[in-house]
Amino acid sequence: MTATATEHRPGLPGGKYLAIAHIAARQAVEDRAAMVGRVLFQGLILLIFSRLWTVVIADGSLGSHSMRELLWYLAITEWVVLSPPLIHLEIEEDFRSGDVAYRLPRPVSYLGSRIAEGFGTMAVRGSALAVSGFVWASLLSGGLPPDPRGLVLVLPLGILAASLAVVCIAGVGLTALWLQDASPAYWIWQKANFLLGGLMIPLEFYPAWLASIAGKLPFAAMVHGPGHMAFGFAPDRALATAGALLAWGAVITLAVAATSRAGLRRLDVNGG
Amino acid sequence: MQAAIEVEELGKTFRVRTRRQGRGGALRDLFATETREVDAIRGLTFRIDPGERVAFVGPNGAGKSTTIKVLSGILHPTAGDVRVLGLVPWRQRRQLGFRIGTVFGQRTQLWYHLPAGDTFDLLARIYDQDAAVHRRRRAHYVEAFGLGSLLDRPVRQLSLGERMRCELVASLLHEPEILFLDEPTIGLDVTAKAVIRDLIRDESRTTGRTLLFTSHDTGDMEHVCDRVIVIHRGQLLLDQSVEALRRGYIGRKRVTVKSEEERLDLELPGVRVVARAPHSTELDVDVARTSVADLVAAVLARVHPLDLSVEDPPMEEIVRAIYSHAEAQP
Amino acid sequence: MTVQRLRCDLAFVRALAAVNLRATLALRGAFWLALVGMMLNNLLYFAMWWIFFDRFEEVRGWRFEDMCVLYGVVGSGYGLAVALTGGVRELARRIVDGDLDPYLTQPKNALIHAVGSKGFASGWGDVASGTLLIGVSGVVGPFELPLVALAIALSASVFLATGIVIQSMAFWLGRIETLARTIWEFLITFSLYPPTIFAGALRVVLFTLVPAGFIGFLPSSLVRDFSWLSLLAAAAGLLAYALLATVVFRAGLRRYESGNRFGIRA
Repeated sequence: MTATATEHRPGLPGGKYLAIAHIAARQAVEDRAAMVGRVLFQGLILLIFSRLWTVVIADGSLGSHSMRELLWYLAITEWVVLSPPLIHLEIEEDFRSGDVAYRLPRPVSYLGSRIAEGFGTMAVRGSALAVSGFVWASLLSGGLPPDPRGLVLVLPLGILAASLAVVCIAGVGLTALWLQDASPAYWIWQKANFLLGGLMIPLEFYPAWLASIAGKLPFAAMVHGPGHMAFGFAPDRALATAGALLAWGAVITLAVAATSRAGLRRLDVNGG
Repeated sequence: MQAAIEVEELGKTFRVRTRRQGRGGALRDLFATETREVDAIRGLTFRIDPGERVAFVGPNGAGKSTTIKVLSGILHPTAGDVRVLGLVPWRQRRQLGFRIGTVFGQRTQLWYHLPAGDTFDLLARIYDQDAAVHRRRRAHYVEAFGLGSLLDRPVRQLSLGERMRCELVASLLHEPEILFLDEPTIGLDVTAKAVIRDLIRDESRTTGRTLLFTSHDTGDMEHVCDRVIVIHRGQLLLDQSVEALRRGYIGRKRVTVKSEEERLDLELPGVRVVARAPHSTELDVDVARTSVADLVAAVLARVHPLDLSVEDPPMEEIVRAIYSHAEAQP
Repeated sequence: MTVQRLRCDLAFVRALAAVNLRATLALRGAFWLALVGMMLNNLLYFAMWWIFFDRFEEVRGWRFEDMCVLYGVVGSGYGLAVALTGGVRELARRIVDGDLDPYLTQPKNALIHAVGSKGFASGWGDVASGTLLIGVSGVVGPFELPLVALAIALSASVFLATGIVIQSMAFWLGRIETLARTIWEFLITFSLYPPTIFAGALRVVLFTLVPAGFIGFLPSSLVRDFSWLSLLAAAAGLLAYALLATVVFRAGLRRYESGNRFGIRA
């Protein structure tokens, strides 16, 4: 065990969570077989879409976008959704097994520590998938996006978006308190990212009415926001996306925290 | 007379993976595994006649289950010859299947979410049974095994003992000539064990069905079987009647006394202290020389017991006794 | 003699399917939840193609209704395979844990028994959403219904056969449940995109190593544009995969260790 995990530093309340994230990250490094699976899946999807966009462009129905842009868009959006770990499964299991009762008395917030673990795991997965995604997209699209400076903006936006996703997935896990099973909420979350975030098809290609609905929801900021940086270097737009992510982040974090407090109080009443 | 089971120089080798430790070990194992061979059975030879009830005993890992799985057609052996009802099990699995029944204590053939009766009716199809014959036999076994009240409940709601009774019926419905039972009493409490033993014994006595029964519980073999084959490390150690084994090796009990007093001393014929701890004494008792009743009386006269248990000696010990006996012979 | 045996075997398969179905339905609430949930899940996923074709109309001659039929056939085929022969999804685990024992001592085909002894309610949700999509595609009239059934049956059979091949690798490789499931899902992924986008070597791979062609493209083409040649090709493909599955499983059985491999710690 490293010093970070055992040292007692009263002046640094965030230090505990950093230590938790660190441990989770080290554990994530060990899980290589699953990592290989994710990297292959990422490559498979990019391969298929490289074929799809190539054909669409050859048919001349794509307007101003190039296949290279669209593939990089997908590489970025897949990176954002594949990096956050499925912590709702662990949260659900904590409730089901009653383990949560043992974790509550610790001097760290229960959900806070699960989210910190999520961040730690996300850091490892995200780093690996960033490298592999870069390689896949470069190989399959034949090079960098037309304006590669956009990629510089992807990094902060993507990290922000994936972090928000971790908090959202923690919220999904909390639904197990009421429904016993968190998977229905997870399905809804996953499909919302997929459809309203514009995971595979950029929102630009959506019917206007659907695109405008999607634009008002957090999923577009999380998925389409970073992805759009593949279409060019747009600092203003990036700033707007970052603003939206922070605003949504504040709202969602507060909502999840309030739900967690209400839910865990309910747990006390029921006696675990 | 044709033998029910004939086994000659049977051998079975398993390849055991030595798993790599550490990072990515599992992944590397996918491509190149390091294996080494372990003999589960070596040069095993025996013969069982129709109608015999044979216990197949030995400590864990002795090769009992492996043998029974070769005989019932599940495993392919690596050496030797086997005939079960004149058939080669792993080559004529289908023909043999109609004529044998199996109960594996740790596997189930019952459908978990359905009442056991549904499995029974499916089994009629599996064994190509005539509908009228099946109905008659089913009614007979449901009656004999006391399943009446269990039949409308899904299997998942049954206790382990109730489930085992259903497993037995499932294996008997097609009236097999040989019934193989692999640890059928494993995990059962004392009462359920006794019920299962009685059912198996009585059924076999009335029908003359051949039984081959593995267990690492000496009680199972004493109550159900007439003959016992002991194997150890994959080899035949002993093949004799249960009666002879009882005289030779299993006429002993293991008695543990927990007492208020720190120490218990006894001087009785055939009683030996095998383990001692403060307030606890474990005794090996030859019941031919001192009966359990006399022993208990002697204990009560000396100490105030807090707890007292009388058990059969563990299988491992019997095998050790047989083994050292066999070694001592020239 | 053989006719008699065939009749008995068919009776067994029918009885097995009936018991399997009854077991799936035994937990009624869970059954409907899984069915409706999976249906919604699939339809929301498919909405992507509605958005896509709303904007692009066609991909090298492939239109929205073709996508409906393709997705419908693949989804229903997969659904039927896991609803009626869901044991295939657990075959690798059963091989390693030794759970094939009861099937091996009984006088019926152990492979059929093993795959037919489990059903997943979510599979019926796949069938429901799949047939719904074929229905709304608007290209299927009442006379094509037998063709739809044929296409779904072909797709389900190839799914089953490839599942058996992949999962049977556990006879040689040991614990590969996760890997086997991942590979199986990869097959499905490939068959859910317009086949017209694949060309050259990739197209060859999709019809051989990865049977995406036999799971989706060929069967769905039977519905859209029937030809005896396609039917013959689809049947030949199925036959090849079925043969491969049987041979691989049989070869594996010789190495079956009834769970002992991991039990022995010498």
